[in-house]
Amino acid sequence: MSFVPGLGIVRGMALTLRRFFEPKVTIKYPEQRAEVAPKFRGRLQLLYDEWGTLKCETCFQCAQACPIECIDMGGIDTRGRYHVHWGPPETYGERREESALRRSGRTVPDQAYEHFEPLDLHSIDAILEEHDHDPKRMLRIMEDVQGVYGYLPVGALKRISETTGAWYAMLYGTASFYGHLRLEPEGAARGGMASDEAATRRPTEAAFRSDLDAALVGRTPGDRPGAPAQA
Amino acid sequence: MTVLSRSWSRLTLPGKIVLTVAPILLVLTVGLVAVIAIFGGPILDVLAANLPIVRFVVAATIILLITVPTAFLIIYMEMKIIALMNLRIGPERVGPWGSLMSVTHGLKVLAKEDFTPTGADTVVFTWAPVVVYLASVMSLLVIPFAPGLFGQDFNIGLLYFFAVSGLGVVGLLMGGWSSYNKYSLLGGLRSAAQVISYEIPLTLSVVGLVLLAGTMSLNTIVEQQAGWFTDWYVFQQPLGALIFFIAATAEANRTPFDLTEADSEIVAGFATEYSGMRFGFFFFAEYVNVFIVSALIVTLFFGGWNAPFAWPWPVELSADPASLGVGLLLLVAVVPLILTLVFATPFWLASSRIKGWQALVIGFILANLFIVALVGGWAYIGLDWVAGILWFLGKTYAFVFTFVWMRGTLPRVRIDQLMDFAWKWMLPASLLNLFVTAAAIVVVDALRNGR
Repeated sequence: MSFVPGLGIVRGMALTLRRFFEPKVTIKYPEQRAEVAPKFRGRLQLLYDEWGTLKCETCFQCAQACPIECIDMGGIDTRGRYHVHWGPPETYGERREESALRRSGRTVPDQAYEHFEPLDLHSIDAILEEHDHDPKRMLRIMEDVQGVYGYLPVGALKRISETTGAWYAMLYGTASFYGHLRLEPEGAARGGMASDEAATRRPTEAAFRSDLDAALVGRTPGDRPGAPAQA
Repeated sequence: MTVLSRSWSRLTLPGKIVLTVAPILLVLTVGLVAVIAIFGGPILDVLAANLPIVRFVVAATIILLITVPTAFLIIYMEMKIIALMNLRIGPERVGPWGSLMSVTHGLKVLAKEDFTPTGADTVVFTWAPVVVYLASVMSLLVIPFAPGLFGQDFNIGLLYFFAVSGLGVVGLLMGGWSSYNKYSLLGGLRSAAQVISYEIPLTLSVVGLVLLAGTMSLNTIVEQQAGWFTDWYVFQQPLGALIFFIAATAEANRTPFDLTEADSEIVAGFATEYSGMRFGFFFFAEYVNVFIVSALIVTLFFGGWNAPFAWPWPVELSADPASLGVGLLLLVAVVPLILTLVFATPFWLASSRIKGWQALVIGFILANLFIVALVGGWAYIGLDWVAGILWFLGKTYAFVFTFVWMRGTLPRVRIDQLMDFAWKWMLPASLLNLFVTAAAIVVVDALRNGR
């Protein structure tokens, strides 16, 4: 366009006049809420409690809820238990690929698998066969596996996850929830916070846990999950 | 209530005094008016003997009073229009569509601390905003709002206007000089340089118009532009009008020439040390200046209070409500009722879904609209000052809108660009305009006289 003096001013003025009549973008917040996508959960971040420890219990609920499985867990949980980590920190794209693989029904190659000590998987496979690879019988599968190994090794949990199709996050959540399931050999030294220290910090949770342990007293592997314990 | 008490506790001592004294003065004034109404005969005689003085005092008071709502309105327009141009909503909480936001701003400014820096020249520091504001108000005095509705009709009205509005620079310099702050001083000198530089093309651009009009009385200039809009001086002086518009933008310190108090810069020019209502007065004066400049552009180049077209069917209304006597009272009492019923009936008959009271409400609203339209139309046709002030304010606020629009669009110029533009472009252009106009007048005269 040829140079005409003042044309830029005229075009700018025309632009602002057009904007003057266009619909406005402001949202009058308290009366009017912005339309947010239903899956939007805001920014992800871990919160600390008033003692400066992570509030994260490593319960894996967020990882289970994440629709594209982009959440990963690492580090030591509040009860000082074994740290959970799936190999090197995955990027979002890699996780999505892995997720797509999982959804297509194929097993997911796990680069971190070799880092764990080799495990004899025959007995696990036998137990899984016995339970028909049914993820709904997970508690009994885990109890049987613990009966074989004395505890639940990470490799065993991964094997269960691969063959039943249940998420590792769910398995870890289940295993860490019940008091009679162990993630490390009995008598192994625990790092991090002592459990009674944790109990003083979280009295409500400690009370709930002791109630649960009392309800599970006398339970033997193979009991039907959810059945009231016989006192 | 808490808002009131909180505002009260935040007022400074002078503010509290003013707020207490003002109602008392109001009551006293009303009492005085009552006294005059009762024992008014001899007083009225004295007043009638000195009618020009009374007229001047009343006009000055009225103009002083109307600057306040004018400034409020323009501040509101500025906030709202620029917001809409930025795709925002703008003020909308205080008053209908946020229209009382600027009043709230005024109260806020009143409630703030009135601070005088140590070392400042207190007297000059205090008088600077007064001088600036006074210059605005006094220059508003000669602007004709409508036929018969002006402060004072000088035969040198235009000269008076430039002289008095030039006084504002003195106020800016006073403010900058007395603040005891080098930034204020620099800001004051900067704004003085700007305003004085643009004063020259501003004045020169009007000389051509004065040559054409043969007078400096603003009233006469407006009367000469009566008739169709082609008679407006903007069509005989397009270059003059353009130069006047640009120079007036700089005179009123508006974007893109708002270097005097560049909002977005940290140091606020000459007003750096000002706070509270003294700062508020500078701002008030700025917005009154916007109105004045728009009004002057309309008066000089856009026909003032003249309608843009001659009314094609001259209507002579000789309705004199007073001649009806008691009938007028009856009319006022009965006509609204009848009109309400008349307008309600068709709605009531038209649909059985419209209930009786709904039809009555619709009829009432329509009757009111009808009466307002009737009275307004009668006032527009019958009283030429109503028509005049409508056209004048309409055109003036169109220009105010343009100024606000420019502020929403154009970036600020640099100080050297500002000066370059004034001296290298505006001044030669206004001189050219003057010479061409003078030559054209000579040629046309020679042709008319057949020589």
